[in-house]
Amino acid sequence: MPDLLWFVIRRLFGAALVMLALSFAVYLVFYAIPADPAHLACGKPCTPDRLEQARHFMQLDQSAIQQYLSFLKGIFAGRTFGDGAAAVHCNAPCFGYSFPLARPVTTLILDRLPITASIAIGAAILWLLFGVSLGVVAALNRGRLLDRLSVGVALVGVSTPSFLLGLLAILVFGFWLNMVPVNGYVPLTESPVDWAWHLITPWLVLAVLQAAAYIRLTRAQMLEELNLDYITTARAKGAGETRVVVTHGLRGVLVPIITLFGLDLGFLLGGAILTEKVFSMQGLGDLLISAVAQLDVAVVVGVTLFSAFLIILANLVVDIVHGVLDPRVSHG
Amino acid sequence: MAEPVLEVHDLHVTFTTEGGLVPAVDGIDFSVAPGETLAIVGESGSGKSVSSAAVMGLLPSNAATTGEVLLDGRELIGLPNDELRKIRGNDIALVFQDALSALNPYYSVGWQVAEAYRLHHDVSKKVAHRRAVEMLDKVGIPDAARRVDSYPHEFSGGMRQRVVIAMALVNDPRVLIADEPTTALDVTVQAQIIRLLDDVQEEFGTALVLISHDLGVVAEVADDVLVMYAGRAAERGTVRDLFYRAAHPYSLGLLGAMPRVDVPPKPRLTTIPGTPPSPGSIRTGCPFQPRCAYTHLVGERCITERPELTPRPGEGDHEAACHLGRRPEALL
Amino acid sequence: MTTQSVSEELLRLKNVRKYFGLPGAPWRQAQAVKAVDGVNFVVRKGETVGLVGESGSGKSTLARVATRLLDPTQGSVEIGGVDVTNVRGRKLRPVRRKIQMVFQDPQASLNPRQSVGTILSTPFRAQGIRPTRAQLVELLQQVGLSEEHLERYPHEFSGGQRQRIGIARALSVKPDLLVCDEPVSALDVSVQAQVLNLLADLRDELGLSYVLVAHDLAVVRQVTSRLAVMYLGTIVEEGPADQVYSAPAHPYTKALLSAVPVPEPGVERDRIVLTGDVPTPIAPPSGCPFRTRCYKVQDVCATVRPVLEPVHGSTEHRAACYFPEPPPPERTR
Repeated sequence: MPDLLWFVIRRLFGAALVMLALSFAVYLVFYAIPADPAHLACGKPCTPDRLEQARHFMQLDQSAIQQYLSFLKGIFAGRTFGDGAAAVHCNAPCFGYSFPLARPVTTLILDRLPITASIAIGAAILWLLFGVSLGVVAALNRGRLLDRLSVGVALVGVSTPSFLLGLLAILVFGFWLNMVPVNGYVPLTESPVDWAWHLITPWLVLAVLQAAAYIRLTRAQMLEELNLDYITTARAKGAGETRVVVTHGLRGVLVPIITLFGLDLGFLLGGAILTEKVFSMQGLGDLLISAVAQLDVAVVVGVTLFSAFLIILANLVVDIVHGVLDPRVSHG
Repeated sequence: MAEPVLEVHDLHVTFTTEGGLVPAVDGIDFSVAPGETLAIVGESGSGKSVSSAAVMGLLPSNAATTGEVLLDGRELIGLPNDELRKIRGNDIALVFQDALSALNPYYSVGWQVAEAYRLHHDVSKKVAHRRAVEMLDKVGIPDAARRVDSYPHEFSGGMRQRVVIAMALVNDPRVLIADEPTTALDVTVQAQIIRLLDDVQEEFGTALVLISHDLGVVAEVADDVLVMYAGRAAERGTVRDLFYRAAHPYSLGLLGAMPRVDVPPKPRLTTIPGTPPSPGSIRTGCPFQPRCAYTHLVGERCITERPELTPRPGEGDHEAACHLGRRPEALL
Repeated sequence: MTTQSVSEELLRLKNVRKYFGLPGAPWRQAQAVKAVDGVNFVVRKGETVGLVGESGSGKSTLARVATRLLDPTQGSVEIGGVDVTNVRGRKLRPVRRKIQMVFQDPQASLNPRQSVGTILSTPFRAQGIRPTRAQLVELLQQVGLSEEHLERYPHEFSGGQRQRIGIARALSVKPDLLVCDEPVSALDVSVQAQVLNLLADLRDELGLSYVLVAHDLAVVRQVTSRLAVMYLGTIVEEGPADQVYSAPAHPYTKALLSAVPVPEPGVERDRIVLTGDVPTPIAPPSGCPFRTRCYKVQDVCATVRPVLEPVHGSTEHRAACYFPEPPPPERTR
């Protein structure tokens, strides 16, 4: 266990460094863009005087480095823009303040996260079950009809753009068959049934798209696994086929699957941009897209960093789970 | 000689591959009695491992097995899988060459030995666990009660092979098939395992089928020997028949090609020219003919007519499949 | 004897250690696998030296240090009388001309996408030479293959033929010394004999010297003139092969030799079956590394590691043991 602790400490330290470098890079990119966020904030008519005022208020008149340092400081100490009665406070941990939305970035992210998380986690559970079971079925029926069907489904999933499948699903199930709501989000705390009812279509759409990779990976891994000597050992011991596949075969398949799953989920939690757009759900992806359009640097940096953090976290969790699943892995 | 517990008659195994039908085993007979050891000797591609897998019914689905495999007079070929499963690991058990790959890396050694027991005995996990500790202790794993929860990778090569042997013996099988059980081991550990197999056989009266390419090991443990070449029996007899009265040019070649540790080396090893044929590549005549140094003494017959095992006059059950009919070494 | 001492030194390893570090938490003492732990080893021109030991003895690591594929943690490597311990990169090329390595698994050590011709010309190119077709054909013929094999790819060959290609590649730069790591252990018995005979022929024809790293003592006996036995990173016995094989002085060598099965059914041999496994090279036993499994162990064995000392009245036969086996009666001088 101390080994694992040390492993986590090391990895978190590494993560902090990566985030630091990333935030710097994102800042640089936005300062290379020849557009002025203050311009959008200064209102009409935008006199040079008011523009300067807005710039000062948003602290855009400082040097790029100075702004970046203020950003870093804000994470630990919070920030205050302007002074007097017009002052805007952003409490620590402050990852920036969105002037167009007049909210701290941290609050924005926390507001939007439940929606994205609802979409991502539900879909992830579906595609994991769907992908792994179809993959196993394909491997066990190698070369036969079931195998070809599964591989076919996988191929369609891989090659279909998510917005197309999403729009088709809305058209067919929402309008033609009128089975499910076509958009909108109901919080889980309000009505769990409505929550699930509104999410079922995006879940299925994402699951079909993502399951493809899982079918293929599970199939390939299972085929490899079934050729291993310890599978023959299990048969030689007198184990039945179900036991051979489930108890002895699946364990080895799960290791790479969990890796892929963790990364996919981490990625999706940072915002399922297209899916959120198609189903008109205001999640993190939606937040990011609008922010880019409005040159809302604070939100873009905040969401980007948050997504990066999720992916790094997912990596760490995957590695720890890996160690639990495979006794040979040591976190020394 | 005691009644044989396992008898194999006219065993054929044919694989259906993309390149056509490949006869891996082409009509072999052998039998082994309780407490006796039969060694099946051959090089890669000789069909020795395929034969043992065929006895256990463990061949892949593209293999067709014909002939007779009798366990205590009961035919095993054609038995439904459910019946075969009751025999595997219970009446006939298998020990593989590479214990590291034969053991499932994701489960503790104790779990794996206990599983083998529970597959054939309706007992609680606790009872099976106790049985596992008892078996691990019996095969010489020091501190078995503590090490029972260790994973395969935490054991040395020799200890792993002991685990595999414990797993094979947990149900007191009548027949133990050991496929190159010591090939992956260091000599000092090999000596320990050979002694262990010997002790086990003495204690339980197990019939042992030893599959090996190592003539030294064979000389040490076997009572009877079957020499296989290209899926066919080249020679069969007692271990003394083979080592002191080898009748087939191939057996003689193998003996001459083997370097010895106990006597000063010959200037050159006798070699057999060429390489073993791939299964199915030789369809008429004697499969060894292209590599044989004596074929000119026989002539055409070696190419046209397939030699069958024929008894050596005055040498009991000693048989060789060679048209020469005389002891070869005297002729060169 | 005198011819040996004047004969040219091809390889000298001086007090070589090779430790592999293990990563660990900072609050734990750093650990190291002591793969090679203080070895002196000399190969002279014309010698065929067998380096034997069980898994974990450090024999393969030693071979890789000797061929400069690995840097020693401590000690020095002299090749052809020149200290090359700190020679790296391009400057190693002239060194590689003198010493070449043949690997255990010819399947893994030959690039499957290159034809035999390309494989054989790579060492030439590394030396800045463009080989002629005749040169390549000659190489193939030396190892018992022929011109028609030049355009083929490794998968078209059998294991024995692939090992021949590996040997031909090593021979291409006309080395003085060939270090072969388990050259025949992946091969069938009948094919193994062909390769062993080939190695003997090349020794006689080209005056090649060998270091033969192997776990199979019978294979080593067939081709070597001198033998070094390794255990847990150290050489425990060395000497002329016939002397070591017929009258081993170190208890480990004796046990090792007695464990090798002999193809003579019915002949009872006194076998020393060692108990237990080789201890971990992370924490080898104090004093004599073999003492935990030795049948002659005494208190003194746990104190200071014994050094190689002459035994059986021979200057060349040496063993690192406080209680070496006595020479057999007929050999006492």
